[in-house]
Amino acid sequence: MLLTQVIVGGLLLGAIYALFSAGLTLIWGMMNFINFAHGEFVMLGMYVALVVVTSLGGGPTVFSFLAAGALASVGIAIYFALIRHVIRGPMMAQIISTFGLALLLRYTAFYVFSANIVSLPQDTFGIYNIGGILVPGAQLLSGLVAIVLTVALHLLLTRTFVGSRLLAVAEDRNAAMLMGIRPDLMQALAWGLSAASAGMAGALMAMSYPWSPSVGETFALTSFVVVTLGGFGSVPGALYAGLIIGLLQALSAYWLGPIYKDIVVYALFIALLWLRPQGLMGKI
Amino acid sequence: MKITLPALLALLLLYPFVLNDPFYHDIGVAVLLGAIAASAWNIVGGYAGQVSVGHSMFFGIGAYVPLLVYQHGAWPPVIGVPIAMGLSVMLAVAIGYPTFRLRGHYFSMATIAVAELIRIYVGTVDYLGAAIGLQGPAVGRGWWDLTFRGELPYYYIFLGVLAVVLYITFEVQRSRFGSYLRSIRANERAAASLGVPVRQTKLKALMLSAAFTSVAGSLYSIKTGFVDPESGFGLLVSVQMLITAALGGSGTLFGPLVGALILVPLQAATNTWFGGGGSGLTYIFYGGIIVLLSRFEPGGLYEFWHRVSTSWKVRHAA
Amino acid sequence: MKKIAAAFAALAAVALVLAAAPQAFAAGTVKIGVLFPLTGNAAAAGQASKAAVEVAAEIINGKHPELANIPLAAEEGLPGLGGAKLELVFVDHQGNPSVAQQQALRLVSQEKVNVLFGAYQSSCSLTATAVGERYGIPFVVGDSAALNITGRGFKWIYRVTPIASDYAATYMHFFADMKKQGKTINSIAIVNENTDYGTSVADAVEGEAKKSGINVALRVPYSANATDVGPQVLQLKDKNPDAIIFISYTSDSILYMKTMHNLNYMPPMVIGDDSGFSDPSFIPAVYDIAQGAMNRSAWDIGKPGSTTYKINEMYKAKTGRDLDDTSARNMQAMLVLGDAINRAGSIDPEKIREALSKTDLKPAQLMMGYNGVKFDKTGQNILAATYLIQLKDKAYKLVWPDSAAEAKLEWPMKGWKK
Repeated sequence: MLLTQVIVGGLLLGAIYALFSAGLTLIWGMMNFINFAHGEFVMLGMYVALVVVTSLGGGPTVFSFLAAGALASVGIAIYFALIRHVIRGPMMAQIISTFGLALLLRYTAFYVFSANIVSLPQDTFGIYNIGGILVPGAQLLSGLVAIVLTVALHLLLTRTFVGSRLLAVAEDRNAAMLMGIRPDLMQALAWGLSAASAGMAGALMAMSYPWSPSVGETFALTSFVVVTLGGFGSVPGALYAGLIIGLLQALSAYWLGPIYKDIVVYALFIALLWLRPQGLMGKI
Repeated sequence: MKITLPALLALLLLYPFVLNDPFYHDIGVAVLLGAIAASAWNIVGGYAGQVSVGHSMFFGIGAYVPLLVYQHGAWPPVIGVPIAMGLSVMLAVAIGYPTFRLRGHYFSMATIAVAELIRIYVGTVDYLGAAIGLQGPAVGRGWWDLTFRGELPYYYIFLGVLAVVLYITFEVQRSRFGSYLRSIRANERAAASLGVPVRQTKLKALMLSAAFTSVAGSLYSIKTGFVDPESGFGLLVSVQMLITAALGGSGTLFGPLVGALILVPLQAATNTWFGGGGSGLTYIFYGGIIVLLSRFEPGGLYEFWHRVSTSWKVRHAA
Repeated sequence: MKKIAAAFAALAAVALVLAAAPQAFAAGTVKIGVLFPLTGNAAAAGQASKAAVEVAAEIINGKHPELANIPLAAEEGLPGLGGAKLELVFVDHQGNPSVAQQQALRLVSQEKVNVLFGAYQSSCSLTATAVGERYGIPFVVGDSAALNITGRGFKWIYRVTPIASDYAATYMHFFADMKKQGKTINSIAIVNENTDYGTSVADAVEGEAKKSGINVALRVPYSANATDVGPQVLQLKDKNPDAIIFISYTSDSILYMKTMHNLNYMPPMVIGDDSGFSDPSFIPAVYDIAQGAMNRSAWDIGKPGSTTYKINEMYKAKTGRDLDDTSARNMQAMLVLGDAINRAGSIDPEKIREALSKTDLKPAQLMMGYNGVKFDKTGQNILAATYLIQLKDKAYKLVWPDSAAEAKLEWPMKGWKK
C-alpha cells in the first residue's frame, strides 16, 4: 500500500521531468548542443507563476500559459543573441556560454527576488483518495497536464507542417536549406519551444513545491539524466525516461534514503553514458 | 613576449613586497592557486580540447587526503600530497578510459556527473568528515605542518609550484606529445587516421592534469585549514578552473595565469563593492563576462591580445 | 603593444586597490567587522541577521530608555569609552569558507576593525575565526553550531549561542519530563538536512537519545534542496515513531508539513530544531495543518509592552518581518559584545578579550531566554539555553520548561484535525 503510494508520487513528478526534458532533448537532437542553463528556465517559470499570482491575481491556467509564453520569448531571444554565434565556434565556447548564462539568470533572480524560499499560497485543489492512494489534486493535475503537453509536443513535431520542418533541420541542416527551409528560424523556434516547455513545467511544479533561485542546478542535472536515458533527440524517449527517473528516485528514496536517491540517479547516468549513450530511443 | 616575460617574473616575485599587507598577500596566494588549478586543467581541457567540467573530483581528492592523514593519523598534512596525487591519477585512469569515448557535450556531462556523485557520496561518509568537513592543524606543531601565521610563506611555495607546473606544460607543449594533443583538439578523427594514439594520449593528458589539479587541491586545504564537500568537490570549483583558463586563453601556456591575474582580484573587488549590500551582483557580473567571452572572444585574452597586437604591428610596420 | 600591456597593468592595479577599499576611520568609534552570507543559498538568513545586529548597534548607539533592562540601551553610545559608538562593517562571504578567510583578513588589515563577528555557516566561522586568533582580534560567534569552533584551544573566540550538544540535551530533558507525565516516548525519528548544521545537531541528538535509552527508529538525512519528500514521509509513516525531530531549513520544513498532510500522516509530535520552523515564511505557509508543532527557540516575542516585544517592533520596522531565533541570537551576541567593550573601556584587543572572558550577564539583562552569559575557558557560553515553543493558532507560545511556560503544552499535536 505504501509502496503504491511511493510509485504514484514518483510517476507524477516524473511526468514533469518528462515535460522539461522534452524541450532539452529537442535542442540536443537538432543542434547537438546542451543547454546548461535549462534548469534556470524551469526556475524562471516558477517565478512567473509567483508574480502572476501575487500581482495579477491569476490562477493556474493563466500563469502556466504566461510562463510558457514568457520563457518562449526568452528562449528565442537567447538563440538569436548568443547561441547562433557560439554554435559555430569551438566546443569550449559552446559549453561555457550556457554556463555563464546559467549564472547570469540565477543571480539575476537572486537580485530581483531575493534568496527567500517562496511558494504559492495554499492550493485549492484538495486531496483525492483514489482506491486508498492519497493524491493531492495539484500534483495529479500537474502530472496529467505534463504528460498531455509532452505528447502534444511529439505530435507537433511529427504531425504538423512546422514540425516536419524542425525535424528536417535536425536531420540534415544543409539539405533542409536546399529545400527552402530556413534553419535559423527553425532553430530559434526549437529554442522557444524548449524554453516554453521548461517554463510550463516550472509553473506546474510551483503549484506543489516551494523553491528559490538556486533550484535550477538540480533540475538541469535531472534533465540531463532523463534526456540521456530517453535518447538523443527523442521526445517519446524523454517521456518514458522522465517517468522512469521519477519512479527510480522515489523508490531509491524510500528504500535507501533520500541522499542515496541522487547517488543512484547519477550512477545510472554515468553507466548509461559509458554503456549505452544513445539511451532507450535515441539514434547516434 | 621577450620583454613581458621577465617583467612578469619580477612582478610575481616582488609583489608581496610592493603590496606588503596580509590581505593583498592573501589575494596573491589566491591568484597563484587559481593559476595552478587552471593551468592543470589546461593540459587536458585546453591543449587536448577535452572540456572537463568535473575537475573538482581531482581537486577534492587533493584537498581531502592531507587533512585526512592529519585528522586520522596526526601526520603532517603534507604527507598526504603524494598520496592524493596517486589516487587522483588512478581515478583519472578509471574515469578516462570509458569517458573519452564520448564526444563533446557528452564528455562534459559525464565529468559533471562523476564529480557530483563523489561530492554527494563524500558527504555521507563519517570517516571523510561527512557534511561537516575536515580541519587542518589549528596551530602548527612545527614548520612541517605548513600552518604559517602569515601569508608570505604560502605565496612563495605556491609560486614555486606554479613554476613547476608551467615548466612541465612548456616541455609538453614543444614535445611530440604536445603536437599529438593539438592534433586531437583540432580534429580527432583526422589525428587518428594519421596514426596518433588518440586514446593513450588523452589518457596521459588527463593523468598529468589530474596530478597537478590534485596538488592545487592540497595547497588549498593546507592553506585554508578546512575543506568540506562543497569547497572540495563542488561544481563551482570545476567551473572556476575552466573559466579562468578560458578567459586568459585555453591551450596557451600563460593563458591560465593571465586569467587568474584578472579574475581573482576582480572577484574580491566586486565582493567589496557590492558584497556588503548583498545583492549578488558579483556573480551576475561573472556570468556576464563568461557569456560575452564565449560570444565574442572564445580564444580568451590571449587571442584578443594576439589580434590587437598583430593589427598594431601591421599598421605600424610600413 | 606596450600601451596595452600598461593598460592591463593599470587595470589590475585598480582592481587590487578597489578590492581593499577601506573606509574612512572615524574617531570615537569602535569598528566591528561582521561576516555573513549576504548572497548565495543562505542569503535570506544572512540578511536577516545583518538587520538584527544593525538593530543591536542602534540600541547601544542610541537612547533607548524604554528597553531598560538591556545594558547600554538607555544611554547613547558606550559610556565606558566616552560615548563612542559602534560602527559595523559588513562583508559577504557568500557561504564560501575561503572567501570568509580572505574577507576576515581584509577586515583586519584594511578596515582595521577592533573586533570580528559572524559568520552563520560553521564552515565559514571555522576559517574566519582562525584569522582572529592569528592576529589577536577577538571574534564573537552568535550563531554557528559546530563544536570545533570553540574546541581548538583558541584564546580569542567567544561563542554566545548554545551549541548542538545543548540542544540535544534539551530535547532529552523534555522527553524525560513528558514520560513523567505519562506520555509514551519509546522511539523517535530524526530527519535532518545534510549539511554541517543538520548533521551536527542530528549526531548530537542521536548520541543523547542512546544515552537516555530512547530508540532512534529512523534517521533520515536528506539534501536540503529536495523537490519531493513523499518517499521519506512514507518511510516515517511506516516506522511510526512517537516523535519526530526535524532539523531542516525553511523550504524543506514547509515541504515536509505539506507532504505529511497530503499523505494523511501525523505523528504524535513534531519538533522542529529552529531554522526552518522559525522562519517567518513557515507559519503563514502551514499554520492550518501544523497546529501543535513544537519548535525550539531561545527567543520569544513576549507580551506587548515587554522589552522583547519592543525590540521585535524595532526589527519589524526595519525589515517588515518578525525577529526569528537565529537572527535574535546574533542580536544578543552583539549586545553582549557591546557590554564587554564598554567594560574594557578601550579598543585595545587584549582588554576587550579580557572583558569578554569576564562577562557575567544575568538572565534579566538579556533579550534571549539564556540562563545568563558566562564563558568558560574555551570561550563557550555555558549558560546558553533554549526554550521549547508550540504553534497555537498563528503564533508560537512558550510551553516548556514549566517555569517559563505561558501556555499549556498539548500532546499529541492536533495538526490539521479540529
